[in-house]
Order: sequence, then C-alpha cells, then structure tokens
Amino acid sequence: MSPMPTAMTMRKIVIAALGAALGAAAGLSFYQSRHLPEPVVPGPGVTAVKKLSDYFGPLEGTANDVNVYVLEGAEPGGAFLVLCGTHPEEPAGRLAGWIFAENASVSKGRLFVILTANRSASTVTRLGGAYPPDYTIVTPWGGRTFRMGDRWSSPLDQWPDPEVYVHYPSRQELAYIDIRNLNRTFPGRPGGTLTEKTGHAILELIRKERVDVVIDLHEAELQYPVISTIVAHEKGADLATLTSMMLSSEGGFAMGVENSPRALRGLSHREIGDNSDAVSLLLEAPQPFLDATRGRTDRALLLTGRDEFVVRAGKQGLLFEKIDDAGWPIDVRVGRHTSTILQILEIWSEDNPGRAVVAGGVPRYDEVIKSGTGAYLKDVKTADPAKIVYE
Amino acid sequence: MDATASAALVLAVMVAAYIAARVLKISTELSLLAAALAGALAGGAGLPARHIVEGAFTYFDIVLIFVSATLFMNLLKESGGAAFVVRAILRRFHRRKSPLFVLLAVLLLIPGALTGAGSVTVLIMGGMVATVLSYMDIPRPRVAAIIFLIAGLSAAAPPVSLWAMLTAAGVNMPYVGFFLPLLVPCVVLSLMTIFILGRKARPVDLEKALEELPQAPPKMTWLRVAAPFLAFFLLVIAGRAFPFSFPILGLPLMFMAAALAAFLLSPVKIAFLRTSRETVHQLLPLIGTLTCAGILVQIMALTGVRGLIAITTVTLPVTVVFLTLFLILPVSEAVLMWGAAPVLGVPLVLLFNTIGLDPVVALAGMSVIWPLGDAIPPTAIIGRLTTATVGVKEPYGQFLKHGLVPAALIAAAGTLMVVFSKKLSFLTVF
Repeated sequence: MSPMPTAMTMRKIVIAALGAALGAAAGLSFYQSRHLPEPVVPGPGVTAVKKLSDYFGPLEGTANDVNVYVLEGAEPGGAFLVLCGTHPEEPAGRLAGWIFAENASVSKGRLFVILTANRSASTVTRLGGAYPPDYTIVTPWGGRTFRMGDRWSSPLDQWPDPEVYVHYPSRQELAYIDIRNLNRTFPGRPGGTLTEKTGHAILELIRKERVDVVIDLHEAELQYPVISTIVAHEKGADLATLTSMMLSSEGGFAMGVENSPRALRGLSHREIGDNSDAVSLLLEAPQPFLDATRGRTDRALLLTGRDEFVVRAGKQGLLFEKIDDAGWPIDVRVGRHTSTILQILEIWSEDNPGRAVVAGGVPRYDEVIKSGTGAYLKDVKTADPAKIVYE
Repeated sequence: MDATASAALVLAVMVAAYIAARVLKISTELSLLAAALAGALAGGAGLPARHIVEGAFTYFDIVLIFVSATLFMNLLKESGGAAFVVRAILRRFHRRKSPLFVLLAVLLLIPGALTGAGSVTVLIMGGMVATVLSYMDIPRPRVAAIIFLIAGLSAAAPPVSLWAMLTAAGVNMPYVGFFLPLLVPCVVLSLMTIFILGRKARPVDLEKALEELPQAPPKMTWLRVAAPFLAFFLLVIAGRAFPFSFPILGLPLMFMAAALAAFLLSPVKIAFLRTSRETVHQLLPLIGTLTCAGILVQIMALTGVRGLIAITTVTLPVTVVFLTLFLILPVSEAVLMWGAAPVLGVPLVLLFNTIGLDPVVALAGMSVIWPLGDAIPPTAIIGRLTTATVGVKEPYGQFLKHGLVPAALIAAAGTLMVVFSKKLSFLTVF
C-alpha cells in the first residue's frame, strides 16, 4: 500500500474519532436536557392531576400528554384555565404557573393549570440560537432546575415540516416552521400534527370543563410591539381593560390592552375565543433574552434580563418597552403574571358571581419581587414522594 | 470589559482565524469552523460540544433538500431526459430570442417561488437552462449569473418567500398582502436580468448545437421527462390544496419521489447507487459549508457577536440604513442565510414601521435584495451551487463580475421599494 492512502486513512480515522467524541458529548447533553426531570409538589389546592389525553385520547403516550392540575373549591363556581409553556422558551409563564400549582388554594369554582402546554418544545433548544439547556431558580433550600425549551415543538416529535404551513381551518398561509408553534396552531385539528392535536386537546378541555376564561402566559422581546399587555379576544375586552386599569393604578406596574387581530390566525387569544364559549386572554411580559439584538446568550441574561445591546436599542427608540441597566429580572416578569392573573380572577368573579373563581395563597407582584420566585417553590426533598408529579 | 468591547474582540478573533485559515489554503467550510472555534475560545466558552453540534444541524433540512433535489436532477440527466428537453427547446425556439428568454425566465421562477428556495431552482432548472443559454454563445460565467440572479428572485417570489414569512412572523404581522409587492419586482427584475445579460446572445446554430449536444435515448418521450416533474409538482400542489387530508411529506421526500419516478421511467438503465454516491460527493463542499455556517451562527449568538452586528446595523441613521441596505442585507444573508430574517429583518421592519413606512412593501423590497447575498463569501452557497451546476471553469470572481449590473438594479429596486413603500402600499391587496 502506498503511504498516501495510509496517511489519508489515518486522517479520516482521527477526524471521525473527533467527530464521534464531539457527537457523544453533545448527545449526552441533549439527552439530559430532554429528560431533565421537573418536579412539581402539588400545593394544598390541587385536588386532582389529570392528563391532557383525558380530554383527547390520541394524545396519550406522546410528548405532549401533559399534566393538567385541577384546583377545585368547596363551593361551585366558574372555571379558569391558566396556560403556561405554550412557548417554553418564555420561562416567566411556566414559573408563574408553578407558583399557582404549588401554592394556590381555591375556595370557589375550579382552576385548571397546564404548566407545559407544549412539552415537546420544552425538550429542545433553538438551532443556531445558542440557548442554554436549562436554568436554575435559586430557592431558600437550594435551587430548582428547569428545561430551557424553544418556541417550536421538537423535530424529534414532529418532522418533517411542509414547505408552507396552511393553518386549520382558516387556510391562512404561515411560515413553514410555525406548524410546530402551538400558538399558531389553535384551535388545533384532531387528525393533525402533534402540535395541532395539542391545540385541539386544549380546546376539548375548555369545552368539556366549561371553562369561562383562558389566560395564556407569554413573554416577548422588547422589539415586539405587543408587549407588557393583555391581548384580548373581543369577548374579554372589558375584563382586560378593567384589569389593565386596576394594575396600572394599584398593581405597581403598567399593563396595556390590545385587541386580538382577526386577520392573525392560530393564536390562542383569537382561536380559543372564536372556537369555544371561553373568554381568551394572552399576557405578554418583557424578556430581553428574546431580542434579536441581544448580546451574549446565557443563563444570566435569561434570568436578569440585563443586556447592554438591548439598552442601546432602547436609547435609539427601537423598543416598545423601556429598559435600563436594571434589566427585566425574572422575579419582575413572574410577578407581573401572578398579579395579572389574580386581578383577572377578582374582576371576573365580581362581575360574574355565579361563575366566580376565588383563589388565594399566591403572591402578587411586589411579594414575588421582595421574596423572589424561588421562595414559592417547594422543597422536593422534604415533600411526600408519593405526591410529587413530574412535568 | 463591556459587552461591546467583548463582542468586538471575539469578532476580531473570528475574522483573524478565518483569514489565517484561508491564507493556509484551508477550504471555506473548514475556515468557517476555525472561525467558530476560535470565537468560542475567545468568548470564554471553551470547546462547547453542545453548541457546535446543535449549530451544525441549523440547516439540516436544507442539506436534505439539496441532496434529494440534486439526486433527482442527476438521475434525469443520466436517463437522457435533460438532453431531450434541451434539444426540443432549441429546435422550437432557436430563431426567436425574446420568447425563449421569457420562457426560460418563467421556468426558472416557478420552482423557487413554490418552495421558497433558490437552490431548488438551480438544481431543477439550472442545468437545462444553462445548456440552452450556452448554445446562444453566452459565456458560462454570464449564464451562471443569469441563473443565480433569477433563482434568487424566484426564492423571493410569492407564494413562498421565507425572508418575508420569517420576518413577518417575528413582528406578529400576518403573511398577507405580500403577493403583488413580491411578484411584480421579481418578474420584472427577472426579465431585465435575462435580457440585459443575454443581450449579446446569438441565434443558435441549430445543426451545430444538435450535433454537439448529447443524443437523447431513442425511447425518451415528453411523458418520461415530464412525469417526474409532474410527480413533484402534484405533491406540492396536493399539499396546498388538501393540507388537512394529505400527509406532510416535506420537500426532501417529494424530491425523492420525483427521483424514483425519473429512475423508473428512464429508457436506459441507470446505476442508481453510483449516481447517489456521485451526488453526495458533488455536494459535499456545500453540505460542509452549510454545516459550518450553522456552527458559526450559533457561536456568534453564544458570544454576543450576532447581537453586536445587529445592534450596529439598526442603530445607524435611517438615511444610512436606506443607503446601505444593498450591503447590509446581502452580507447578513451571506453569513446567516435565512437566519438574517429574524436577526436583521425584524428590527429593520420595526424601525421602518416606526418612521411611518409600509411594513409589507418595505419587507417585500428587502426580500428582493436578500438573495443577492447567496453569492457572497463566506458561505456563497447558491452562487457556488450555480457555478457548479452550470460548469463554470473560470474563477468565481468572473461570475460575480457578470452579475454586477443586474444585481445593482435589483438592489436599487428593493431599496426604492423600501423608501417609497408608503406610496406603493396599493400593491398590498392580497
């Protein structure tokens, strides 16, 4: 054998070995983040933990057969659904939901909480986005680690994408990738993709449980015009306006109101309102981590919301929400969500006494900022193992 | 060190590593990888295995489309179908340049318009159109420039324009009203391109051309050539017409179905495995570039370099933004490919919206300019794909030189669409 092929073969072997080592190290990291257990210690108010497949059987056994936490009061009343993790890369929504699931008590009516509406999307991070695989919320007893997640369902669970996504039932054409975006696939489709089935299952829950109000929790980049606001279906315009007024005057932070555009299809605030009796609202909190101009992409940015480049964009008038060197810490974002949900519950219950939902035990904006989100996460080590549920 | 200085330092290290690798005669794709790895080290991320592998998969779907579409075209070539079509077009149109140019421009526009990918235009139509144009005495680099520019416009053309779709999604704007603002410039500029670059084309010397062209197999028929294309377009159309009952196949599988049809209908026996091997071998540099470009984008996001580029661009004075769109958009495309839409497209559209421009027309104008970047290094994916498909032997710079005038027209048209978007808003009817 001539020396050239041998050298070439050796080179190939070395490169293949390096590639395999890199692949193994990365593969381990992908596996660990996809299977990172996220414990939930159900609080005193949780009376049952159902599965989404209880409302739509074909979802059983899939990545999105997620937990539905039911908090039922002693007195009959209305029903609320708090939807978190529609976009898992927006963690304040999930964390606010966690606080409800682990702390809330309900005296009247029923409260349904879904912590990871698109669980598949919580098991993957964005290609090219350099997201961290997870993040840890510091607690008095240590810390709780959560999956970072993405905006779109994992291609491991739903692939391939079409060359263009045609929304059901409007037939509006959307970017191909949005067929894996739960907040573009409502009201869902029973025979559709995993993401469409998930949307359909959530609608089934809303219809079967006679849910009165759905609140979908999100975060948005500061360059996005719909931010620090409640996006309301026309059925919920008054409820959203009153909530906004109350929060802006007494809640400690400014909250706007936007009407749900009729031309923009697939979003929860539009489709849930159109396809069920429920009032649909969507809350947006500011998250600089999502901004296209963000600097270093890491856990610190995710949790502190501090970014020099985004501040520069703000100084140029390119943002729709203010930002300074203090950033937008996670506690502020979580607190906005908890306070807004509590305010909506109160106003709804006052206006609809027959369908009231009365909840307590959940911290408001100033309390979350003062004590930190971690103060409201229960210690898994001291909890009854039989009661722990995993997301 | 503040974020700007830190990101600028990492960017400088990346650029230096890329230049050093090129000086050492290392290939483009490995130079991109070297830049990414150097950037990760300079940014304090060490050797981030997760980010490297995740970034490598950023353009995985596009890689699959490249491979399956090229296999389809290579099988068609092996079957004698390409020669058959070229001979037939030449016989019919060899004396009539204008209708031939219009026909070729339309043929080039269709695949990219339907799929949103200029590469698909190059892979499906590029080879055949190149053969026809070459017989009109148009130099190969000029032929490649025609195909590349119209392929780019086809990608921007409706109904599927990924730059517009991804940017619109990023600003919560429905992908509605884009049809005419995209169609009109794409059609007009495609015709201008082929007529400008083909102005010196001579009528084909039919006898000489037919003599030089490979013979088509005697049993080759229009049906045998058209059936694989029909299979492909039927699958695309079925997906659109019956989106809720037809299974999602994805473009790679659609191209594989077309490839299978070409293989089964071939009048001559084709060595399928050999053709497959040659296809992958042919595409390896492009696949490598896409893979390494994905890694580079990921490391740029990780270290803040991506943000530095984005913030520097969008904080320029508006007049400067207008005047440099022809540069900013193609360069962002060259580095980020479709990733340029969320990184630069979103802040730019928001900026334009803030100053009272029509966001739909402005975005359509930007979408027309973006594909020009596909010829620019470091990635130059479609440019290189085109020169390879056309069989350009001259240096890559020759191809770029030939495309300069129509590219300048495209950039000017796109910029004017942005500047005068308010006045052009009547186009946003559907």
